[in-house]
Amino acid sequence: MIRKLVYGMDLLLGRDKPGRNLTIYEDDVFIASYSKSGNTWTRFMVANLIHPEEPVTFLNIDHVSPDPDLRTRNFLKKCARPRIMKSHHPFDARYRRVVYIVRDPRDVVLSQYHFQIKRGIIQTGHPIEEFVQRSVIGHVNEFGSWGQNVGSWLIARYNTPGFLLLRYEDLKERPEEGLAKIALLLGLKTDHEQLAKAVELSSADRMRKLENLQADKWASTKGTRKDLPFVRAAVAGGWKSGLPHEAVAQIEQAWGHIMRALGYETVTSAPRDAKPSLLDVMGLPQ
Amino acid sequence: MKYGIEVVLKYLLGVDVADRNLAVYPDDTFVVSYPRSGNTWTRFLIANLVFPSENVTFTNIERLIPDTSSQSNRALKRTPRPRIIKSHTYFDPRYRRVLYIVRDPRDLVLSYYDFQRKYRQIADSYPLADYVDDFVNGRLISAGWGTWGENVASWVYTRQNRSGFLLLRYEDMKSNTEQELKRIATFLGLETTPERLKQAIEASSPDRMREMERTQSDRWVATKKHRKDIPFVGPAISGRWQSGLAGALVSKIESTWGNLMSTLGYPVVTSEVGQTHSAH
Repeated sequence: MIRKLVYGMDLLLGRDKPGRNLTIYEDDVFIASYSKSGNTWTRFMVANLIHPEEPVTFLNIDHVSPDPDLRTRNFLKKCARPRIMKSHHPFDARYRRVVYIVRDPRDVVLSQYHFQIKRGIIQTGHPIEEFVQRSVIGHVNEFGSWGQNVGSWLIARYNTPGFLLLRYEDLKERPEEGLAKIALLLGLKTDHEQLAKAVELSSADRMRKLENLQADKWASTKGTRKDLPFVRAAVAGGWKSGLPHEAVAQIEQAWGHIMRALGYETVTSAPRDAKPSLLDVMGLPQ
Repeated sequence: MKYGIEVVLKYLLGVDVADRNLAVYPDDTFVVSYPRSGNTWTRFLIANLVFPSENVTFTNIERLIPDTSSQSNRALKRTPRPRIIKSHTYFDPRYRRVLYIVRDPRDLVLSYYDFQRKYRQIADSYPLADYVDDFVNGRLISAGWGTWGENVASWVYTRQNRSGFLLLRYEDMKSNTEQELKRIATFLGLETTPERLKQAIEASSPDRMREMERTQSDRWVATKKHRKDIPFVGPAISGRWQSGLAGALVSKIESTWGNLMSTLGYPVVTSEVGQTHSAH
């Protein structure tokens, strides 16, 4: 009852964190992804592009691009429009403009594993096979499995207006090209120089330096282990050495059809679906 | 502040509608569909099967199989477990056990058109052509549940052929009710006999539901404040679109969701179907 009263008071004063109850405006833009797919990096690039006057750090990123799961209703109401929001939620029909970042699930699972050790959810040395087993059924966080999260967005919105799909791997290879596409969705006029500067200010090296200085003050790293970084390898393909073959097979068995549709080549002999799935007939670029 | 006070009072009294704030238990089963897809009929069928000692009516259906979007958090918390709950939401990863009912969108739009006039959400004179346009473009009152394509595809694609998910087509339920209800019973882990299935079907027939609506509509949350000259229980038939929907409107629906419709076994009749979108 006390807890209920406290939350009631928060609601009254607008100090509650709305999460899925977020009041959405038509011009909101969501930077959405499964967790550990390059969302923070993308937010840094976008924020640096929009606010060249003030370099983005872990201390101001949540102001420029807030997470409705972490910020209060009052705060979100006062944000400058159009708001650039962060989200890890699976398909939400109320989001009209979405930049969806997808990353090779083999790297995502590995990164999620390290992240959960950093946060003390699992211990160092936790058997990775067990973690992968829970990952493929979506029992490692509240955002559904990777396949459900990615699949629900793609099947509902791929190739529709207001939806921009970006692969983390492509962003790594050609960040300015990806950022230019985001700028287009946001209706921003940009030139090559501005894009290059935003990318430079959001480099993995710079983000690591900022993390060193600011980890104790950022909501997502405060109270987590400091011997393990939030900005980790920031590379594609780490799974090849970091995941046992059996774990790779499990992931490909669960999500092979989505992976192939997204151009992530599978390497184990997971059985392929006999008939094309719904995603295949949508003609995703290979 | 006014928003705040109202929300807080409802929250403290527990009368806030559950909806997105529903506390989900792992043993919950959800009866999910887009609106006007036979959800209420299915709830009656299930309630008659699961609660044979109850005379299932519009006055007790919300107690037996509560609706997340009309019942309060407190009411849902008080529902005995394992709960069976009705919902119209698009994919929600917290729902572990889901019965999803899908209906031909060409019939659904006609049913929804009647329903929104009943609720006075659109005028009687609102052109059907505009309505179909709103339907495919996500401008209906149900936009919070996504478009038909988004709602259906988000569930079917993430869950089909996996445990804890049963896909039902309204049309199959109409043409072979006993067989489909048996599938539902198996999914729910219920022992049944042909007699019990028949009883449940009889007790949930459109005629009986119409009769109950006539006498109880003032006491059911979904009908009590709405005009009575348009019924909640519609014609309860499939294929009405073949005479009720002009070719151009059929074509509009099929060009938006043709691929998804074909996948679900609803053959498209216009030649130009969308090859790029499935769920738009």
